[in-house]
Amino acid sequence: MAGFSELIRNFNKTRDYVRDFFIYGCKIRSDFDRKSIRTYGDEKRRVESWLGDYMRYDDSVRGRSVSISVDSGHIPENPLYNAYRCKSFTDNDIRLHFFIIDILCDYKLRPLREIVDELNSQYGMLFDEQTVRNKLREYTDEGIVIAVKQGKTLYYSLSRDTAGDFMREFCGLDDAVKFFSETQNFGIVGNTILRYAGISNDLFFIKHNYIIHTLEDILLPDILSAITQKRWLAFTSVSGSSDTPNEKGQVVPMQILVSVQTGRRYLAAYIPAIRKLISFRLDHIRSVKIGGVCEEFDDFKAAYDHNISRCFGVSFGMRRNSDSVDPIRITFFVDEVNEPFILERLEREKRCGSLENSGDHLYTITADVFDPNEIMQWAKSFIGRIVRIEGGNENVRKRFYSDINKMYELYGGDDDEHIQ
Amino acid sequence: MMNIFSEIYGTYFHIAAKLLENAATDEKTVRETVLRDGFRDSVLFLPQKLLPGKESWGLLSWDNNGVLRRVTKNPPVTVLTKLQKMWLRTKLSDPRIRLFIDDDVLSRLNQRLADVPPAYSPDSFRFIDRFSDHDDFADPIYIANFRTALSAVKKRSIVDIQYSSAPGKQLRGRFVLLKMEYSPKNDKFRAYGCMLRNDRIRKSVVLNIGRIVSISDTGRVFRTPFSVDEFLSIRKCSSPAVVRVTPERNGVERFMLEFASYEKHTVRDLDSGEYTVELWYDSQDETELLIRLLSFGPVIEILGPEHLRKQARERIVRQFRMLERDDT
Repeated sequence: MAGFSELIRNFNKTRDYVRDFFIYGCKIRSDFDRKSIRTYGDEKRRVESWLGDYMRYDDSVRGRSVSISVDSGHIPENPLYNAYRCKSFTDNDIRLHFFIIDILCDYKLRPLREIVDELNSQYGMLFDEQTVRNKLREYTDEGIVIAVKQGKTLYYSLSRDTAGDFMREFCGLDDAVKFFSETQNFGIVGNTILRYAGISNDLFFIKHNYIIHTLEDILLPDILSAITQKRWLAFTSVSGSSDTPNEKGQVVPMQILVSVQTGRRYLAAYIPAIRKLISFRLDHIRSVKIGGVCEEFDDFKAAYDHNISRCFGVSFGMRRNSDSVDPIRITFFVDEVNEPFILERLEREKRCGSLENSGDHLYTITADVFDPNEIMQWAKSFIGRIVRIEGGNENVRKRFYSDINKMYELYGGDDDEHIQ
Repeated sequence: MMNIFSEIYGTYFHIAAKLLENAATDEKTVRETVLRDGFRDSVLFLPQKLLPGKESWGLLSWDNNGVLRRVTKNPPVTVLTKLQKMWLRTKLSDPRIRLFIDDDVLSRLNQRLADVPPAYSPDSFRFIDRFSDHDDFADPIYIANFRTALSAVKKRSIVDIQYSSAPGKQLRGRFVLLKMEYSPKNDKFRAYGCMLRNDRIRKSVVLNIGRIVSISDTGRVFRTPFSVDEFLSIRKCSSPAVVRVTPERNGVERFMLEFASYEKHTVRDLDSGEYTVELWYDSQDETELLIRLLSFGPVIEILGPEHLRKQARERIVRQFRMLERDDT
């Protein structure tokens, strides 16, 4: 495999592969027919390199399938953070990194010329002024180097904020970073701090841990900037069945919706052209681009804030006007004395609605939601207790009754041959 | 704005920084560091970049005595980047930060980071299906209990705990705590541990920090070797849940995504497009697993183990009869 490199320039390509390996659990080479065999081989080798301990191989008549199996509730560090640690760079990038820091670590101010002279005299290599200026500008943006203008000349020094000093100076920060480095939304950044400080998370596990989300974090900085700055956002995404990115045009980003139970995250956005709020899956989004300021952002946001309270999940349904939603009423059987935990469950898990005692051992949740379909998956987790369903819409009710019939048949009705 | 995918956080830079810590090193240390801290294949690519030679980055050189030395004068300084400080700044407004850091320290840290903006506003995220009965992270008693438990995990000290196991029911005992666990779904912390009797392990337990009434450190360290892996293997199911997943209603993708956090083994039937998935789980969480599986409706079928299928069937039959009654 000549020419293979562990480092990558394009994060998105790797993101696709990891997701496929990780989510589907089993893929063989021919499933990746959209890419060349060489690309498949390289990507597979990279993923294996990062996730060696978690890879599984199964041979079948169709070929060897590769999958990733991680008990992610019991790992100290997200193995997919490795994807962020393999950005390619030039030889000069790494040389200048260590040499510039070496020169500036006395924290004295130096002009560019002096830094270039020191680089060229002390390390046995020649760097031109423009290359060094660019690196200093980049490191100033990164916050590693501080640039101060004196007269017409820029002087550079090293920032005094080191990871080790922070950990020593602020008691408890090390444990806090250990924890937050494994939680959602840029945990990877916390992990880089731990690595800088030479420590690692040895205290916390994260239950219901969707480690794949870290790969979507690459998109979030631009999306969050667009939200904060009230800007338009353009993005491309793929649908579940196609790998070809589709233009989605211009949207006004509102919020990132996180499902801690289904493993999905969404971008909720308003599309003025069709006057609709729509949630787009983050894992289907390939690229984003920040646009100009949206003058009506506050109006759209106010409408969104009003509407989101009627989303059981992420669907705003097909209605434009929230007042046209039929509340759905689901009545559950609960033995309050012997099963108080069922009532507790209903209380803590209900959304967009109220819970009331509606008869002997009967409790009814009334939920005013845009899309009654969304509530039904949750309701089915109470199978065995659902006395009746009213409201919502007829299709949803019919589907529930039909699902129960199918399940009854699937599990053998009253006479299951599987059970001895 | 924020550049997460940068070589400065990369593995190669990390390994180079480690090797430049000491003024002198040797070839063996270089290779060992690459093996330990690199990717699986880094040893094929990285040593020749680090060691003097044609492909070298020139960070190390041989001196006249044949000793491998760094060319830099000082150990590398790991400066926090603006991105890292922005991330820290964001976390300072998270209510859970008080579990770790006292208010006066927090105030100093806020001052120190005053010149960087937060990486994002917490309002930009909405957790749509998080349970509402989360732990009260601002409660001083909760904070004190959390800290004692965390300290006990770090020191492996033996603690006395009074615990509310159910409404109106309390138990008191002596425990060793092994690990802390956080659930984003419940927004709660729990502690893995073992109940002790006469300093011997009696049983494994998972304690909700929010249900600890009191906790005190005995000052004694639990010295019996007992790893977290041993704890987990005790609690692991004896046989995995076996589930058939059909492609109907996008079932495969939904199921695989939702159960991505489980250790699993998947086999696909090429003719039907169905997947058979084995899931390993903590036996204490069996009911949680069961209700999550049932929520998929007829898109999936629990094939085994028998006791799990039996529980599913009982609930389904009960449900079927309940709807029959309502119909009549």
